[in-house]
Amino acid sequence: MNDLSPSRQPVPPHPANAARIGIGGPVGSGKTALIEALLPVFQRRGISVAVVTNDLVTAEDAERLRRSGIIDPARVLAVEAGACPHTVIREDPTLNILAADELDARFPGLELVIIESGGDNLASTFSLDLVDWWIFVIDVAGGGDIPRKRGPGVLQCDLLVVNKVDLAPHVGVDLDAMLEEARAVRGGSPLLATACRAGINIEAVADAICAAVLIRR
Amino acid sequence: MTAPAGLQSDEDVLVSTLVGSRLDHDLGHRLHHMEHDGTVETVRLETRDMTRRRLRVVTDRGTPCLIALPRSEQLFDGAILLLDAHRAIVVRALEQAWLRLRPASLPDALQLGYAAGNLHWKVRFDGGDVEVALEAPRQAYLDRVRDLIADGRVTIVETGA
Repeated sequence: MNDLSPSRQPVPPHPANAARIGIGGPVGSGKTALIEALLPVFQRRGISVAVVTNDLVTAEDAERLRRSGIIDPARVLAVEAGACPHTVIREDPTLNILAADELDARFPGLELVIIESGGDNLASTFSLDLVDWWIFVIDVAGGGDIPRKRGPGVLQCDLLVVNKVDLAPHVGVDLDAMLEEARAVRGGSPLLATACRAGINIEAVADAICAAVLIRR
Repeated sequence: MTAPAGLQSDEDVLVSTLVGSRLDHDLGHRLHHMEHDGTVETVRLETRDMTRRRLRVVTDRGTPCLIALPRSEQLFDGAILLLDAHRAIVVRALEQAWLRLRPASLPDALQLGYAAGNLHWKVRFDGGDVEVALEAPRQAYLDRVRDLIADGRVTIVETGA
């Protein structure tokens, strides 16, 4: 059962106008941590945000955000993706579109809906029917060779985030080489190196989102 | 004055709704006259970008456009972004590029079909050929079926498009 309507109350009619971005990437790369780091930045900037999380068979990430205290719990909806987390963000994103529509309807003036994919592999990509722009998150601890594998997520995303850069010395990864390979396989498309837990480069990610989709700002 | 990347400047055109279609009789007539006056600018977009509701584009004459459409509206070939007494801006969809692949036999077709499905490629069929919509560099697709091509089990059909 998908947790699309926590309160199960009628939704008032309201045009869906908020920008929608996707955040995808492998399990444990730091997608939820990135959202947790971004939310206070958007709050300081006065940007109205809501989140849709995708998990396989639970609402784990949604519950984590609802309990975090950094966002009104009503602004977080969960989609249970089942066995194919990429299907609900690419081939048939209906559940996520409905969730985003509901958030748009519930919160007039909403500016940004962040749709976090379920943890997947390097092949996952977002349908542009669902989002206007999307980020793919990989992490240093997952291995310095990830960019070389040329996964569609790494190649096709609008912004590649290489997370946990502070762990590079501890996991034997040559960070400079990893970032250089990432730039090369992406043909120069945007890339940012972050450490979400340490707050490194989060403002830059927020700037990139604002520049891409929050066009009136 | 030019605004830093990501910020809006006075020179930017903000598009929050579509004016209409160049196929509309009255709008098309007006555009026809403006084209003679040289006041129609064009935005060329990849097919895959047409479903985005938010994007920054630049016309063929260098005018920056900030598109922020409601989700009830969608860009299309011939969509008019701006139409006033002095200027019009019209969307042109770039032609979708296709990679045409021809399997040598039925077993090869099965294997090629499996690869296309497994890789979630967007395809169409023409006779015994598979055409793959290119949403990334062509070589990235060829690399995925390089063994089939190297063994002569699949050949690339150059279409000249």
